[in-house]
Formats: sequence, C-alpha cells, structure tokens
Amino acid sequence: MARVSIKVNGKDEACEIKPRTLLVEFLRDHLGLTGTHVGCDTTQCGCCIVLIDGKAVNSCTMLAVQANGADVTTIEGLADGGKLHPMQAAFREHHALQCGFCTPGFIMSALELVAKKKNPTEADIRYGLLGNMCRCTGYENIIKAVKAGAEAMARVG
Amino acid sequence: MNQVDASSFHEIGRSVRRKEDFRLLTGKGHFADDYNMPGQAWTVMVRSPHAHARIVRIDAAKARAMPGVLAVFSGADCAADGLRPFNHNAVPSTKYDMKLTGPGGGSVFVGRHMLLPADKARYFGEAVAMVVAESREQAEDAADAVAVDYEPLRFLERTEDAVVPGAPAVWDEAPNNVLVDAFFGDHAATERAFAAADHVIGHEFHVGRIMPLPLEPRAGLAHYDAASGNYTLYFSTGGPGIVRQRRQFAAALAIDQEKLRLVALDTGGNFGTKNRPYVEHALALWAARKLGRPIKYRATRHESMLTEYQGRDLATKVELAMRKDGRFLAMRAENVMNVGAHCVSLSPLAKGAGLITGSYDIPAATLRARGIFTNTVPNNVMRSSGRPEVTFAIERLIDMAAAEFGFDRIALRRQNLIRPEQFPYTNAVGSTYDSATFEANMDLGMKIADWGGYEKRRQEAAARGRLRGLGFANYIESSTGSPRERAEITVTPTGRVEVVLGTQPSGQSHETSFAQVAADLLCVPIDNVEIILGDTEVVKEGGGSHSGRSMRHAATVLSLAAPELIEQGKALAADILGVAPADVDFAAGRFVSTRANRTFDFLELAKEAQARGGVLKVVKDNEMHTPVFPNGCAVCEVEVDPATGRVHLTRYAAVDDVGRCINPMTVDGQTHGSIAHGVGEALFEQICLDPASGRPLTESFEEYGMPSSTTLPPLTTEIVEVLSPTNPLGIKSGSEGATAGAPAAIISGLVDALKDFGIRDIAMPATPLAVWQAIENAKAGSQANNKARHGSWKWRA
Ligand code: FES
Ligand code: FES
Repeated sequence: MARVSIKVNGKDEACEIKPRTLLVEFLRDHLGLTGTHVGCDTTQCGCCIVLIDGKAVNSCTMLAVQANGADVTTIEGLADGGKLHPMQAAFREHHALQCGFCTPGFIMSALELVAKKKNPTEADIRYGLLGNMCRCTGYENIIKAVKAGAEAMARVG
Repeated sequence: MNQVDASSFHEIGRSVRRKEDFRLLTGKGHFADDYNMPGQAWTVMVRSPHAHARIVRIDAAKARAMPGVLAVFSGADCAADGLRPFNHNAVPSTKYDMKLTGPGGGSVFVGRHMLLPADKARYFGEAVAMVVAESREQAEDAADAVAVDYEPLRFLERTEDAVVPGAPAVWDEAPNNVLVDAFFGDHAATERAFAAADHVIGHEFHVGRIMPLPLEPRAGLAHYDAASGNYTLYFSTGGPGIVRQRRQFAAALAIDQEKLRLVALDTGGNFGTKNRPYVEHALALWAARKLGRPIKYRATRHESMLTEYQGRDLATKVELAMRKDGRFLAMRAENVMNVGAHCVSLSPLAKGAGLITGSYDIPAATLRARGIFTNTVPNNVMRSSGRPEVTFAIERLIDMAAAEFGFDRIALRRQNLIRPEQFPYTNAVGSTYDSATFEANMDLGMKIADWGGYEKRRQEAAARGRLRGLGFANYIESSTGSPRERAEITVTPTGRVEVVLGTQPSGQSHETSFAQVAADLLCVPIDNVEIILGDTEVVKEGGGSHSGRSMRHAATVLSLAAPELIEQGKALAADILGVAPADVDFAAGRFVSTRANRTFDFLELAKEAQARGGVLKVVKDNEMHTPVFPNGCAVCEVEVDPATGRVHLTRYAAVDDVGRCINPMTVDGQTHGSIAHGVGEALFEQICLDPASGRPLTESFEEYGMPSSTTLPPLTTEIVEVLSPTNPLGIKSGSEGATAGAPAAIISGLVDALKDFGIRDIAMPATPLAVWQAIENAKAGSQANNKARHGSWKWRA
C-alpha cells in the first residue's frame, strides 16, 4: 500500500491505496467522484481528463501516486453551488452535450485551452480538442460553446 | 388522425435549454459504471481467440485456485441451470414491416444466442466462460488462466464466401448459411420495363461493417436479494428500453419478470449497439444469485470493440431502367446482409427493403433480400439502420446514370422526384410514404450550401493544386419502431407534473423535449414538469428509443392522455365550485366557470384534490403502427490533395424534414451527430479482420477511424416541418435522417472531384490510401476503380 495526499477540488484527500491505482480509479472509486469517465484504454478518448496544477491530464494514464502533492480539479469542482462555471454554462447554452459522457473531459480541455490563449479562434479550438472524442455532437456545438465560454471567461476576468 | 390545435403552443417549437444538463455538466450523471455496492465482486469473461472453433474442453482448475477467485462458469453450467438463449425478436414483425422469410418462404432460423455457448465459438471474442473474483484484477488474471481446448474450424468473414458449396456452416440448421431469402415487388412488370428501356445503368456496392461506438463502454452492477428473490440490474441501455429488456433478461434467466428490476438512468451514447441485451449483464445477474454477492461488470474499450453489436455490412447490386428523356421506369435490386454469427436483428435488411426506390417515382421494382451467417460479431441496427445502405445505392446510381447518359444530375433528380400532390405515395415495393416536399428540400439545401458559388471555390482550390468536388444526395427514411407506449401523468400537490414514459434516451434530450410537449398540452409551466424514465419500478410499459419512434410515440400518447386529465380536472373543479362539470371550461391553463368566481390551474387543483383525498392522475396506453417517412437532402464539398489522397471536407449542408419540430436546438444537435456518423462511414471507419486468423485488427481507437474535431467540417443545417398526417402533432423524426444521406453525398462529392481521372466510383471508407490508389490506377489506365470491391458475388443464384 502507498500513502497519497492530493488536493482535489480544494479539499485535501489523504488515502492508503494500492500503488498500481490509476488516478482515475482514485477519483472514481476512492473518492466517489464519478464525473470523470473512462472511455478507452489507449489514452485517446479524453473522457478522463482532469486539471492537475492547471494542466489538462488524462487521469487514466497516470498513477495516483504520481499526483501526490498535486492540486487536482475535476468536473465536480467547477460549479459554485447551483451556479455553473462560465464554460459549463456555455456548454448548456450552446447544446454542446447530448449523452454527456464525453463532456467533463471536453470542459477540462477547454479550460486549459483558454488558459493558454484567451481568445481562441475556431481553428485553435478544433486543434486544441483533438485529444477529446465525442460520438454524439459532431463537434459543431462544442466548438461554438468553447468559443462562447472563452469569451464569457474573459468578461468575468 | 386528428391534429392537435397548435395555436396555443409556446414551448413546442422553442429551443428550450436542457433539463438534463445541470447534472451532466457537474459530474452528477448516473452512468452504468457509476454504481457500486459494498461487498461487490467482479466478473471478467474468457473470450475465444478463434473466429470459429469447437469448444473441446474447459479446464478451470488452475483459475479456481487463484487468489480471490470465487467461481468460474462455462456454457455447461448455464445449460445445467436451465438458462436459455436470448430472444432478440430479430425478425421485424410490426404491421408495416417488410416481411422477411427464410429460403423457400419458410420461417427464419436466427441461430441461438446462448449466454455462454457450450458447442462452438462463432466469432472472435465470443465469451465462452466467466470468472468471478473479489477484484477486477484477480478476475482478469484468472480469466487468462482458464485453459480452453479448441478445435479451430474454417471461418467465414464475407457473405459471398459463406454461400459457396463446401463452405463451413456457422449453424448446422442452416447448412448453406442462408437465413433469409425473400422477394418483393412486381417481377413481371419490372422485367417488362427493363426490356422496353432506352438506358439501363447498374452497379454493385458494398456498404461496409462499422461500429456504433458510443463512448460509454457497457457496464453494469447486478444484485440479488435472497430474502425476496428479487434481482436488480443497474446498467445503461437503449433501443427497446427497459420494459422489453426486462422480459428478455427474465426469459434468458428463466425467472419471472416481476422478480427483475432494471435501472438505466444515463446512457453514454448508443446508436443501436445497446439495442439488444448483452450476455454479460444476464450472466452477472445469474452469478449474483449463485454466489450471493453483487456482481459488477465493466467492458474495456478493447472488449467493446471486439464484441459490441456492429452495423451496416450490406452488399447490393442495383439496376435502373430509364427512358431516353431521363424518366425512371424500373429498378431491380439484390441486397445481401451479413448478419454475423447469430442474428440479433434483421431490421436493417427489412427497413432498407422498403426504401430501395428512395425519393423517386419509379413505377416498377423488384428486390431480392438475403441474410447470411458468417463468423463475425452479430450485426445489429446502427443509427438509421438499413437506410444509408439503400440511399447510397440509389443516389450513387443516379449520379452514375447522369454521367453515363449525359444528364445533369440535379435535373435528373428533379424530373423523377415524387411530387407533393402524389402523397400518400405507395412505392413499387409497397411502402406508403406519408408526406414530403422533396424538390423544395433540394432547393433549400442548394441555397444554404451556396451551390451557385461553388464554381468559384473550385477554381480557387484548383489554383492551390487541390481538386474540389461537389456532392449531393436526397434521402428518405422510415420511422416505425415498437408500436406501444404508455404515459402516466400525475399532478402532485407539491406542484409537480410527473410524467412517466417508456422511452430510453441516450442523449436525445427527452427530459426536456417531452416536458415541452406536456407543458403545452396541460398549460403548465415547463419548470414544473418532470419526465421520469429508466426504472422498471415505475416504468411498466413502453417501447424504448429506436427507429426514430420516441418523440412521435411519446407526444401521441401524451396528447391522448392530456384531455382525460383535463376532464378529471373539470370534474373536480365542478365539485369544488358546486357547478355541473359541463359548466367548467379549461381555458388558457385555468379551470373556469361562468357560474363561479374562483378559478384553478392544474397545480392549484392538485392541492384541492389532495385535500379531498384524491389525486389528479391519468394512465394512457396507445398502440400506433403507421410509419412516418422523414426525408431531406445533403450537399457537401470536398477537396482532395492528389499527391496524398487526403480528402478534406470543406462544407456540409443538410436539410431535414422532421415533421413538427419540438425543440430546434436539440433536433439540430441530433442532425450534427447524425452527419458525423455518415462522415465516419464514408471516409474513415472500417472494421478489418486478419484474413488468416479472423482476429479483428481494429481493437482500439488507434486503429479505428473516429471522426474528430479537425476532420469534421462546420455544419449548416435547416429543419423543414411538413407535418405528418399520421399522428396528432404531425411528428416524423429527427436524429437518424442525416446519417442516411451523408455517405452518398460525400462519395458523390469525392467522385466529382476525381471525375477528370475517369473515376466514377470509390469504395468506402475513402481513406487517403484508397483515394491515392484510385488516382494512381486511373493514371495507369486501369479500370479497377470502377469495379465494386465485393464484386465476386454470384447474383441471382
Ligand atoms: S479514458 Fe480514454 S483517454 Fe483516458
Ligand atoms: S455527448 Fe455523447 S459522446 Fe459527447
């Protein structure tokens, strides 16, 4: 067993875990944060993406022990009670989710994208989301939502 | 059918933002893998490493002795416990389905879908044993240690190989592997028309095998309560919905369905693959009883891609007879569906059979439809099942006829389209289309695609060394589906309008769009309406979500239930006001009487009902068989880099007549996704088997061409609402249509881009290699391009 201590959505979580535990398993199985999803086993779908110290990381491809001491944000950590984060709100406003399975990963990727470039172009967004798959939306509304979400985030600073 | 008065609607037709979204955006969904229970054990399947092999012996002694292992079960154990094969209702049987028969007109032998086969593995990856252990890792390790002796047999991948004399039989009961052989249309009239025709064009197409591939792999948690004898399965599903799946699981487990509860709340995509039950869920329920533990199953992506029900795989040979002025006279088609190792659905074959003549007025047609077993994953419905295949055939054939005989491809279509005044229109194979304005669709499609500006874009692309092409396709599809639906509406004293329905969404926004319908029919605020789905504790009847049925069936049964609830309200209001029920009106959402001052809306009335010990509640069942025919067209532009063969989709426009549109935002969203499936099929997606072993080579997203944010173009869509006369709200369907038109439109554009090379056909998926090869062949003067890929079928046996 290994001891990890990770800050998740602002809360310190300290746990004894098997060293082989993936970060996504730690989040889902140990902390019950089931908003982060697993859609593949080859690091391609992006359903599992979380922010680690602000960087979008595939939590299926990292051991929990590697995140020891880090600051992790999952989809559960974005809304302020009943108030959605501007990027979440943009996804709703632009109907960027259907089944919603891919959505948490997209939002996390979008947040990293916007952190890197405040006003991304459509091309920036399309390339920036290459690590996320969606089978429902044809990406059309996701692109629009990320653009709108970026603008809303710029407005609120 | 009576049309509902739409003048007072204010929610229907509005892009209401979704009720589902808050939970899904904050990580609070309930997907299949999100359920866990204390004390749960895990199951992992032992899967066949052969595409076709006799199971000689299964030795689980070593596995049983491994740490944490609780049990290993095989097909023999299932048989000993009296478990039965799944009944998939594979042969479409509603009133308006095309009637498929076995060879010689007999019944159809569909194979047996045992939970674990005891005799043979019939496709690579078929589960032959299950392991249960304390943890998933222990179960995985033990599954590797189960020793199975196989006697490998020759396997079949392609239908044309399955029917040659001496081919191995997938099932002894079908020695030549043929399960369906059916004929439709007027043979004599068709032959006469062909004999009298000035032009005949014919071609063979193969619309290949692809995967629906929802992003959520299948998973589930099974629980058995020994005290009550009740089973519960928490999972995600789609298609026939939990009511039918409950019957199917109960029958396979040989238990009373009243003892089984199915809970499926959020489903992470479906597209058809979750439309039939899976053995792992049934086995988990069985093992939960045998072992007295909750049993969890979760497929890896790899497992999903090996074993999830797949789609398409239709070989078709089509011929079209024409007069020299371009008028279509007759059509002949022979369609062959590769059903896989056992048959879970013939819906694609039947649906396609009814639509071979597409959107065109073709006076005579015949069709021979066959279904063939092979050693491949069972083939199932996939988004728009059967329609993309036949749309591809007729639309590509028209392009070819135009090129061959010197017609303008658009004018040729216009000349032969079914005109609005011809509806209801019965086509030459017997399908009766309800309503459409095909030519207006075309005009709109060409307008939003800026058809007129194409030539300039082509020249501009040519200046950059790119070959630009313009593609077009019309489509018509049929929406049928399970005929029964039930609505249970309760107005609670707490001010909620609870609506229970038996549909099974996987992203189609039912909680929002059904609430729009209920809100307008009952004149209540949409925020007070709650749609309840997905748990057999409350959902007792209903037909699920497939074949574009959900909104049409839900809105129809709601529009039958609402007047009854309003009558109840009137009676109650009359009682309270001390007037006769006939003196109470329901106007603008309020129960009023000219004989009293007090008025009530539904929510106020529900409080009064409670105070009087009553409840405002209605349960309404409806059965509706008549199909509807959503239709539309697609225009796309492609650019080809002739040096690499890379195809770039630059513009895409689609027009879809969905009948009455309840929520334009979600219908457009469905259309976008629907297009994406068609793009994938046309350009990227393909299941490949190793020819030597039958092992699938497309086992992960690394090998399978999923459309991405950079390979899909911006999408322009328009909704057309030609109300269907078949149901009260005039609904057709949105969500599958665009998939039907997309492959034909894209290949049309690609062939247009390559026409100067003399290329008139290109097989799907048109990968860069395939396109580059076609160009190189053309340069070398070879005709290989224009021969169908699966050209070795011996047609007309
Ligand atoms: S689960 Fe697919 S990338 Fe992590
Ligand atoms: S919304 Fe279903 S996979 Fe993206």
